Amino acid sequence: MHGLFRWSSKWWPGVIPLAIVWALAAWISTSPMEADLAARSNAALKDTLLDQTRIEVSGRDVTFTANAFSEDGRRSAVAVLQSVAGVRLVNDESRLVPEAKPFVWSAERDVARVTLSGNSPLPATKGKLLDAARATLAGVEVVDQMKLSRGAPPRFDTAALLLVEQIGKLKDGKVILSDNSVTLSGMARDLGGREAIAAALKNLPDGFSVAANDIKAPPYVFQANKDPVTVTLTMSGYVPDNNVHATIAAAAARKFFGEKIVDNLKASMGAPSRFLNAVVPALGALSRLSTGTLVVTDREVKISGDALYEAAVPQIRASLAKDSPEGWQIKTELSVKPAAAPVDPGVCQQLFSELLAKGKIRFEPGRASIDPDSAGLLDRLIEIAMRCPTANIDIAGHTDADGEDAFNQALSEKRAQAVTDYLVKAGLPAGRFTALGYGSSQPVASNDTDEGKAQNRRIEFLVR
Amino acid sequence: MGFLVIFNWSWLLLSVLLGFAMGWIAVVHRGRGVSKRTSQWLALLAVAVVAAALAHLIPGRPGYWLDLAMLIFAMYILGCAAGSWLRERVLARVTPTS
Repeated sequence: MHGLFRWSSKWWPGVIPLAIVWALAAWISTSPMEADLAARSNAALKDTLLDQTRIEVSGRDVTFTANAFSEDGRRSAVAVLQSVAGVRLVNDESRLVPEAKPFVWSAERDVARVTLSGNSPLPATKGKLLDAARATLAGVEVVDQMKLSRGAPPRFDTAALLLVEQIGKLKDGKVILSDNSVTLSGMARDLGGREAIAAALKNLPDGFSVAANDIKAPPYVFQANKDPVTVTLTMSGYVPDNNVHATIAAAAARKFFGEKIVDNLKASMGAPSRFLNAVVPALGALSRLSTGTLVVTDREVKISGDALYEAAVPQIRASLAKDSPEGWQIKTELSVKPAAAPVDPGVCQQLFSELLAKGKIRFEPGRASIDPDSAGLLDRLIEIAMRCPTANIDIAGHTDADGEDAFNQALSEKRAQAVTDYLVKAGLPAGRFTALGYGSSQPVASNDTDEGKAQNRRIEFLVR
Repeated sequence: MGFLVIFNWSWLLLSVLLGFAMGWIAVVHRGRGVSKRTSQWLALLAVAVVAAALAHLIPGRPGYWLDLAMLIFAMYILGCAAGSWLRERVLARVTPTS
């Protein structure tokens, strides 16, 4: 041992190359060792729930920066790093994710996108909500403006996912979840959407409640458009059910005798009360226009277009006001179609015959009261009569052979007179028209069949 | 410490070999050694350095380099001791026969 001390005094010259070895070791090994420690530190933290984790290694010291979701999580992350082999010191610069009070999360939908904003408790929750939004609103851009915060109420995920589903039922609007209370506003995309959302909200997890549900139903719109160029009546929008649909289709077929009817109506709930009672007279008014549009929205009937002659405008307004249900608002924007060019009496006769071949003036059975469904046809006859102001016209009534001849004679005269009165009321001079009744004396078809009888019951216009 | 040894084993082995060679030579070296007083000062310095390393007083890379220096120096001393001891044993066996 004594020798060892003696010799040790002569060991110093080796310190010079040793210093060189140390310098080389330090120079060569530092960076790889830091990289190795960083990789193993990151791997060790892989299963720890953190946000914005950053590991910096200087020598064997690790600087740990992250946002933790709980104090325990933060401590355990530091402990994990301290247990990584080779780590000398852990400089803990982690902090807790800020607490939100109240914890507010929201989803807003407009035409182009859905924006999720506010607070989300965990990155996994954020991901779930974004995925759910993308699945619910395929094709709509989903914008993420959520930030991570502590303080979410229990079962936040379930409640927020349910609300994301409801956003899919909105045309536009906003859903806000503030702690445990839900506020909804906006407009449902479809009829019945508002009710579907209200029903779904009953499945909110325990503890959550709806503070305000201001979701509006979309307007209940029925629309009909009469186009004289394509000779088409197009009906679109909603009807309450299939029965009402059939009734409206039948009424349109009676009132629009010459037009092709395009029926794009869909059955949907949410119709205003007495919908049918408002739509049928409004269709009658539309049938009297040359071109026009009818829009029935909630409890409002709006009709616009061109009447065939001056006197028709007040008549249409008056009949709409009389026939529409109480509480409904009627708006008319009617003008008069420019008068057509005058024609020869011969052309007039041809126009009358063509028109009456397409449609017949109808009366109540056994009576001389004109069926309101024939108003459109009569207006067209009046328009023709106005084009040959010098021609005198016989209006001839005919019946089928059922019943007594005297009754049929009287009925045919009364019906011809009723039509004449209608024309005079429209402003035509009474002297131009002669009402004639022929009873069943001039049949145009066999009176043995119902079809033949229907053809025999007629009004003819004969230009003299 | 285990990590440092495993990670820098090649440098440490080099230090041991260097120490062994120096120890081997030191036994027959005729030059002047370090004075006793200087040795005491150096020993005190070594203790201070070891204390600083154990207390983690120096942070970051310099701290690592200090740990590495300490370890390399320790290996060197061990090598020196082994070299001197073995040389002394070899000389002791050879001398009586000559």
